[in-house]
Amino acid sequence: MRLLLALWTKEWLALARDVHGLAVLFLMPAAFVVVMSLALTDAFRPNAARPATFTILGGTSPKLAARLVDSLTGDGFRAVPAPADESAARERLRRGSLGLAVLLAPGFDGSPAGITVLADPAIDAVQLAAFRQRLAAATLGIDLKLAPGPSVEVLGSAHGARPSSVQQNVPAWLIFGMFFVVLPMSMLFVVERRDGTAARLASLQVPFSLQLGGKIGPFFVINLAQTVLMLVSGHLLVPALGGEALAVTPSWPLFAVAAATSVAAIGWGLLVAVCARTLEQATVIGGVGNILAAALGGIMVPRFLMPPAMQTLAELSPMAWALDGFHAVLLHEGGFAEIAAPCAKLVALAALLFCGALVADRRGR
Amino acid sequence: MEKLSLRALSFRYRGAAHDALRGLSLDIAAGGVFGLLGPNGAGKTTLIGLIAGQLAGASGTMLLDDRPLAEVRREMPRLLGLVPQELAFYPMLSARENLRFFGAVQGFAGARLAERIDAVAAFARLEGVLDRRAAELSGGLKRRLNLAIGLLAEPPIILLDEPTVGVDAQSRAFLIEGIRSLAAPGRIVLYTSHYMEEVQAVCDRVAIMDHGRVLVSGTLDELLREGAGVMDLTLSAPLPAALADDWRVRYALRDEGERRYRLQVSEPRQALDALHEASAAGCAPLAITYGERDLGELFMQLTDRALRD
Repeated sequence: MRLLLALWTKEWLALARDVHGLAVLFLMPAAFVVVMSLALTDAFRPNAARPATFTILGGTSPKLAARLVDSLTGDGFRAVPAPADESAARERLRRGSLGLAVLLAPGFDGSPAGITVLADPAIDAVQLAAFRQRLAAATLGIDLKLAPGPSVEVLGSAHGARPSSVQQNVPAWLIFGMFFVVLPMSMLFVVERRDGTAARLASLQVPFSLQLGGKIGPFFVINLAQTVLMLVSGHLLVPALGGEALAVTPSWPLFAVAAATSVAAIGWGLLVAVCARTLEQATVIGGVGNILAAALGGIMVPRFLMPPAMQTLAELSPMAWALDGFHAVLLHEGGFAEIAAPCAKLVALAALLFCGALVADRRGR
Repeated sequence: MEKLSLRALSFRYRGAAHDALRGLSLDIAAGGVFGLLGPNGAGKTTLIGLIAGQLAGASGTMLLDDRPLAEVRREMPRLLGLVPQELAFYPMLSARENLRFFGAVQGFAGARLAERIDAVAAFARLEGVLDRRAAELSGGLKRRLNLAIGLLAEPPIILLDEPTVGVDAQSRAFLIEGIRSLAAPGRIVLYTSHYMEEVQAVCDRVAIMDHGRVLVSGTLDELLREGAGVMDLTLSAPLPAALADDWRVRYALRDEGERRYRLQVSEPRQALDALHEASAAGCAPLAITYGERDLGELFMQLTDRALRD
């Protein structure tokens, strides 16, 4: 244990004096958390489409048209003054300054047959379908504002299965940052080999497994510090800059997910460290590996936006497992049962990577 | 400790076409400084790596006083101190932090660790720079720190792999003096260097190796005495053919070109005779070298003069 403490102390001292390395580990993911959470706030709203404007043209009964406007207004649809005629309406639709135009046939008597709807192509398909439903209800004389509807209770997070921007981006970029320990870790290893310190430790009979263990402790603490910093950024910094606050409560399941993610990231770092012979190799293998895993695992593009085949493929990325674990806690207030599967996969991967590092070292001698 | 015996050591790096060591056998006795010489690629660092335990998978045996070295090392973890040719310490740490770390991994703690740090710092004259970051030290101080780390545990076996490379003359003189002082009864000091004058100044026994084998081994006196009968001549004119043929038989003459000749003479009298004969044949001697060879010459002779990688 004394030997391990000596290795940890040395690692701490070296890391604490590597300002650039620390900046990459802490500032880079924090910047991603803030920027991406703010930039994608609207895109992640449950009804992400922008409010649509509509107008009503034609017909012979102003009273009937006014009743239609009244029925259609609301739930993201806003009436605007009608243009002079149909061609003016078409021109505004083409330019995108009008969302929907309802054309009433001459002598319109309230039946759906006398109605044509012109739509801006940018209108979301779901939004267009909703407008058609509202129009049909209005022509049938049903006032949606007064009609009693079924009560809906959203369980867990108000956002349901789909995370909000901050719920997606804080854990996503946190995971990305945690896996970035591969760079300082592998670079330290390469430098130790190049400078002969690894050989000197071997000559002092410090087992290689213990040399690897000497990296685990400090980088585990760094990963936990990253977790705290990113969650605090989501909770305090993002709302201070106009975004939504991340609702987060410290809990053991949250710690467990962070810890499992950390050991997987460290395992990956150790394997790259052992396999890379030069700093360039370490940078390329570690950096490109991380970016691919992030792209595949729903860090850069949320998985719910991916086609089904890609969503299935995403299951291969350990970053996706980690994101599942964080979402289970942050979105669904999940406990140990809910995080068991992703955490087990991450820990199993970590064990595999650690063994791989030991085997690679043995083969390299 | 009495002797480190290496027997029929062979080692090949993974993927390499040739063995780095080819059945190498060598006895390294305690009590002095043993010099290991060889051109680049001769296998010196590989040999050090095997003794130090950095490399595994060699065939042959390494015995310390007739017991397997690995077995003795398991019993005595602080048996061996390595001073590699690289500056094997952490540049981000201060000299003191480096010494503390390498002391701690060898099991030193508390007052004993502080005592050892003070001792090696005094030995390497590092007292004034202990709290400076290693990266900021001069080349000579870095070499001294590298040496000090290897001596922390007062190991009975010290392996010094080109410990003076890249330092100025003053630092080299200081290091040589320090290394010489490491020789002690019961302590084995193995020293490799490219600098012949260093080896001559520091070592009692020497082995010259090349292509993974030991070419010659013995005390410095023995090795240099073997070459004492060699006379090198540079003459004013080429030797007449008849005299050259005669000398080939009598003195094992070797023509080295440009009127330079090497003769093997068994006594000084023969050297004088040869000089008279050359003069009589109209080939006045312009330069004569006779007597004890220096180590550099022996080294070049044994390892061939061809340029190495």
